[in-house]
Order: sequence, then C-alpha cells, then structure tokens
Amino acid sequence: MREQVKSVLARVRSKPPNILKALLALQERLGHVPTEAVSEIASALGVTTAQVAGVLSYYPDVRLTAPGRHLIRVCMGESCYANGCGRLLRELQDRLRVDVGETAAGGKFTLDTMSCAGNCAVSPTVMIDRDLYGRLLPSQLDTLLERYK
Amino acid sequence: MRTVTRLYLSNDTSARAAGAGVLADAWSEHPEVQLIRISSRGAFYLEPMVERDSPAGRVAWFNVTAQDLPLILSGTDGTPVRSIPFLAQQTRVTFANFGETEPLALDEYQARGGLSGLETALRIGPDAIIEELQVSQLRGRGGAAFPVWNKWKVAQQARADQKYVVANADEGDAGTYCDRMILEGDPFRLLEGMLICARAIGAGRGYVYCRQEYPGAAKTLRAAIQKADEAELLELDGEPFPIEVVEGAGSYVCGEETALLESLEGKRGVVRARPPYPAQSGLYGSPTIVSNVLTFATIPNILSRGGAWHAALGTERSRGTMALQLGGRVKHPGLVEVPFGLSLHQILEQFGGGMAPGSRFKAVQVGGPLGSLFPASQMDIPVCYDVFAKAGAVLGHGGIVVYDHETDMVDLARHFMAFTADESCGKCTPCRIGSVRGREILERIQAGSGTIEDLALLHDLGDTMKVASLCALGGRAPYPVLTAIEHFPAEFRAKLRT
Ligand SMILES: Cc1cc2nc3c(=O)[nH]c(=O)nc-3n(C[C@H](O)[C@H](O)[C@H](O)COP(=O)(O)O)c2cc1C
Ligand code: SF4
Ligand code: FES
Repeated sequence: MREQVKSVLARVRSKPPNILKALLALQERLGHVPTEAVSEIASALGVTTAQVAGVLSYYPDVRLTAPGRHLIRVCMGESCYANGCGRLLRELQDRLRVDVGETAAGGKFTLDTMSCAGNCAVSPTVMIDRDLYGRLLPSQLDTLLERYK
Repeated sequence: MRTVTRLYLSNDTSARAAGAGVLADAWSEHPEVQLIRISSRGAFYLEPMVERDSPAGRVAWFNVTAQDLPLILSGTDGTPVRSIPFLAQQTRVTFANFGETEPLALDEYQARGGLSGLETALRIGPDAIIEELQVSQLRGRGGAAFPVWNKWKVAQQARADQKYVVANADEGDAGTYCDRMILEGDPFRLLEGMLICARAIGAGRGYVYCRQEYPGAAKTLRAAIQKADEAELLELDGEPFPIEVVEGAGSYVCGEETALLESLEGKRGVVRARPPYPAQSGLYGSPTIVSNVLTFATIPNILSRGGAWHAALGTERSRGTMALQLGGRVKHPGLVEVPFGLSLHQILEQFGGGMAPGSRFKAVQVGGPLGSLFPASQMDIPVCYDVFAKAGAVLGHGGIVVYDHETDMVDLARHFMAFTADESCGKCTPCRIGSVRGREILERIQAGSGTIEDLALLHDLGDTMKVASLCALGGRAPYPVLTAIEHFPAEFRAKLRT
C-alpha cells in the first residue's frame, strides 16, 4: 500500500497543491483513502495534516473505509422521492440486512444513498458502481442484484 | 447484397438507464443494422426510442424492446418525429441538435451552425460581445438569474495577469438534468460558450467543475475537449486556452460559486463571504467568471443570431427560452425548452400530459431543494423570474417535480430539512444549527409528539434562516418546508399531540 500511495502522490503533485485532487486520485486507486496515509499525503503536498484531515472529512464521497466489491447507491432526490425511492431503499436494507453506509456480510455490497443522479425523467434511480438503472420497481431488485458477482 | 439500415439510438445516460444500452448490446452484431448513437431528444417517457431516416424526415419507434427490430426494419408503425406533440410544441434553440447529431461529431456540430457564434465573437471583440449580451438581456440559468453581461463587464475591466472561466456543472438541484444532457449530448456548445467568454474577458484558462454523480458526462466532455484541441479550437489570439474537467465529491453546497472555487482549489467547499465577487477575485484570487453550463450553452446562438433575436423571446424581464425539466409523477417526464411565460398548468398539461397513470395531483415543486411547493390552486403562475420572485418563489435551474396523492407532506418536509442539515457547509449559525433544529422538530411531529408550538417554532426558525444566512442554501431551505405547511396545514395538525 505504501508504494501505491507514493506513486499516486507523485503523480498529483502540483503548484499550488490540490488536496482534494490528491485524495480522489488515491481513492480511485485504492477504493478509499486510508487514514494512516494522512501524514504522508500532507508531507508529499507540503501542507499540514490538519488541512488534509479537514478536506478528508468534508466531502461525503471521500471514503475512509474500503467499500464492498460493489457500491449500491439509491437516489434520494425529489423526483425519485415522488416515485417511491423510500420503498426501494427499505427493500434493499431488508434484502442485504444492512443500514445505509454499511457493507453486507461477505463484503459483496455496500449500500449508500446519493442525491440526484440527473436521471430524474426515468426515476426512481439506483446506481451500482458506474451503472445507472431507472424506472426500478422493488420486484426487479432480485434480478438486478444477481447480475453482480 | 444485404441492405444495411441506419438506426439512430440515444447514448444519453437516462436513455441507457431506460433500456437503450440493452438494445445496443442486442443489436451490435446484427448485419442489417448500422447503429448511430445520438444525443437524446429529451422525450424520456418514450425512451428507448429508435429512429430511422425517411424521405419526410426521421421516423421513430417508442419504448422499444430488442424484439421490435423486424418491425423497425420493415418500416411499419413508425411515427414521424415532427408529429410528436411533446417535441413539436417546443421552441428548440439551445437544444436544437438534440436527437439529431452524434455528440462528438465536430463536423456535424459545425454543419448545423456550430462555431459561428465564436467566429462572430473573434471578429467583433470584447466590448461588442458584452454589448450583444446586454442587448440579449440574458440572465444566468444556474439559479441566481444575474444579468450575464454585467458580470462579464466586471471581469473584463479587472486588471490581472490571469483570468479564469469556470463552467458550473455541479447541477445539484434534484429534479434537474439539462446540464447533464448538454455535457453528454452537445458538449461543443458548452466549449464554444466558454471560449466566447474567455475572449470577452481575456481569460487564459478554463475549468468545468462536474458533479461526481455524472461519470458519463465527464467522460464525453473530456473527449470533446480533446477533439476541440486537435482541431486547434482551444486557442485565442495565438495563445492556448486549455480547458480542464474537474470532478466534485458529492457536496451540494459546492454548486454555490464561491464554495465551488474553494473546492476547485482542493480545499473544503465552504462558502466565501462576498464581496469580493468571483468576477473581481475568484479562483486563486484572480478575476473569474463562474457560470452555469446552460448559460454558456445559450451564448453561441446569441452571438450568431444577435442579442435582439434573443430579447424578442420570453417576457419583459425574462428573455429567451428556459429549459424546464419535468420529473416526478407526471405522465411525460422530459426536457421542455420553451420561451418564458407559459403557466405551470400549461406546461404540465401540454407537455407533461397530466398525471402518471393511477396518480392524482397533489403539489408541484419548482426550483429544486431551495424552491417552493405549489398546490393545485396556484397553477396559473407564469414561469418567469419576476412573477416567481414576487410570489417568494424561484425558478432555480428549471426543475419541476410533481407529487401525487400518496405523498406524505410531513415526511417530505422532514426530507427537505434533513437534506439542508446534511449539506450545510457550517460557515454560519442560522443554517448550521437551524437546519438541525428544524429536522428535529419535524421528526418530533412525524413521531406524533409534536405540539402546536413546534409549528410556530418552525416558522420562527425559518424566518431567522431566511434573513440571517450567508448564502441561499440556508436562506432558501425554509421555503419548501414552510410552503408545505402553508398549503397542507391539516396534514401537519393531524400529527400533533393534543
Ligand atoms: C447552495 C447553492 C447551490 C448551488 N448549486 C448550483 C449548481 O449546482 N449549478 C449552478 O450552475 N449554480 C448553482 N448555484 C448558483 C451559483 O452560486 C451561481 O450563482 C451560478 O453558478 C452562476 O451561474 P449563472 O450566472 O450562469 O447562473 C448554487 C447556489 C447555491 C446557494
Ligand atoms: S447558509 Fe449554510 S451553506 Fe450557506 S454559508 Fe451559511 S452554513 Fe454554509
Ligand atoms: S431525483 Fe433521482 S435522479 Fe434526479
């Protein structure tokens, strides 16, 4: 891991330093930003650890723990709300036996919510990894989840 | 020899989510089909939609499944695109290319008038560009509706070694997707708008801040930038004008222009106090124009057709067209580009087609999470900035979400407050503390232990947030909640402890 962190950081060094960019690049590579890496990030970018920690805690999409193999995100935006995203989320919680933000036993799925995916015209929307699904009915969830190994 | 038929299928994210991706996979190896992946017309209730050429223009098939291929190849039962009322009744100006072109085909963009706005801009120079925008009376489409020319003038007159042009592609308002459509469907129009701006203010660098939830949009835009660069479009006065796409990290308030600039610099996306405005001191302290994607995409036509052409559309203080985005329980969700001034009722009936099957109208929300709710009795309001402002409402980014009879207004109000509490940047107390208090009160009411004093408390809290918040997140967040209480008081009272 150290080596990976080092090589990513070497790539994103810039003047002036950009902390968020560095964190997102690390996340792209490792799936999350390990908190152990904070001091290394700080020294590589030439900023304080407090600055790094501040940015790290600010952004909802910067993850401190590794997600499951697949990340399921249920859109909670208003168009999805009107079209029953609440029911979809409850069904997923029941099926996977997890709460929002948790990873199901076996590490296959992490369940999360998101705000609008810009897919409002074919809502409700669920995003799994980078794939988007629209007009989803709770009855379609089983077949959908089976596609992910 | 086998005949090969050209079929047009959208590659837009929502079209794919509706099934266009499945069709493309199913037909990819088909010897009789040549698939052209175009942008979407925005009639999403018809997607996946497949079109083919005919002597009288394109003919379309709606809600297509893979089994429909023989029907389409035989040419039976298609509908001429021209005769689809949802599209025929619109004034497609900014969205004229949608459904017609391949998003990354620069030659098609140019053949349909693309880059002629930039040509004009290069010829007439900064002062005349800004004058043209003043004549056009274009106001920003990101939410604040500030006159575009005014902002550009400030940035133009600022003296600085470096200036920046930033496209706000954070599109945070739930229920809006027109920026995503532009990024994915007509990306050169955005780039052209940004280049015109750079020419007007003398900027040397451009950024597009794109929300993380739009991976497809960021990818298409990056490809478009590369193509534009190869075609040597990304230069002004012999100097390079590089444009970079930067992705956000899931924070709503980063759509606010000063928080966006903080985030672009890689810092916490916290709102900066204004003045100074970004046009005076923005990215890294340099004069910066931050404008919405739709705003930039509207500008090429203004330069090529003239400001007066634009000013002739719309109402007294809202000139041009607006891209409205229908969602929720409406029968025809999709993109509607029309001149300002139609009533909400007209829009929902004429374009929305009424309610989705099995649904009865309850309320409509205009302007996203900072907008207001309108009940059936207020549907005559014309969609334009001034009348909305008088009613204490906002058009925002043009999102229109329809709620049906099953909507629980107390839960919806709680949902709004919880959103604000989650998204507050924490810079000022009324918003940071007020939104948490507001959420707690609504949770109490929802649980059946709220009192009539709690409703009064919500009003007081809302009034404080409105007047004392630093930005519109805290300042406008009370509106959806308070309009829910105003229009559906019985639902709230029924839940109170007696
Ligand atoms: C909380 C908040 C969120 C905002 N989100 C966006 C957004 O997602 N996209 C956008 O273009 N403008 C957004 N704005 C408005 C911007 O601050 C700014 O006014 C706009 O980008 C200017 O562009 P325009 O002049 O083209 O409208 C937001 C404002 C606030 C207060
Ligand atoms: S109103 Fe809310 S989001 Fe805006 S500056 Fe204050 S705390 Fe931040
Ligand atoms: S509200 Fe869910 S995709 Fe827009």
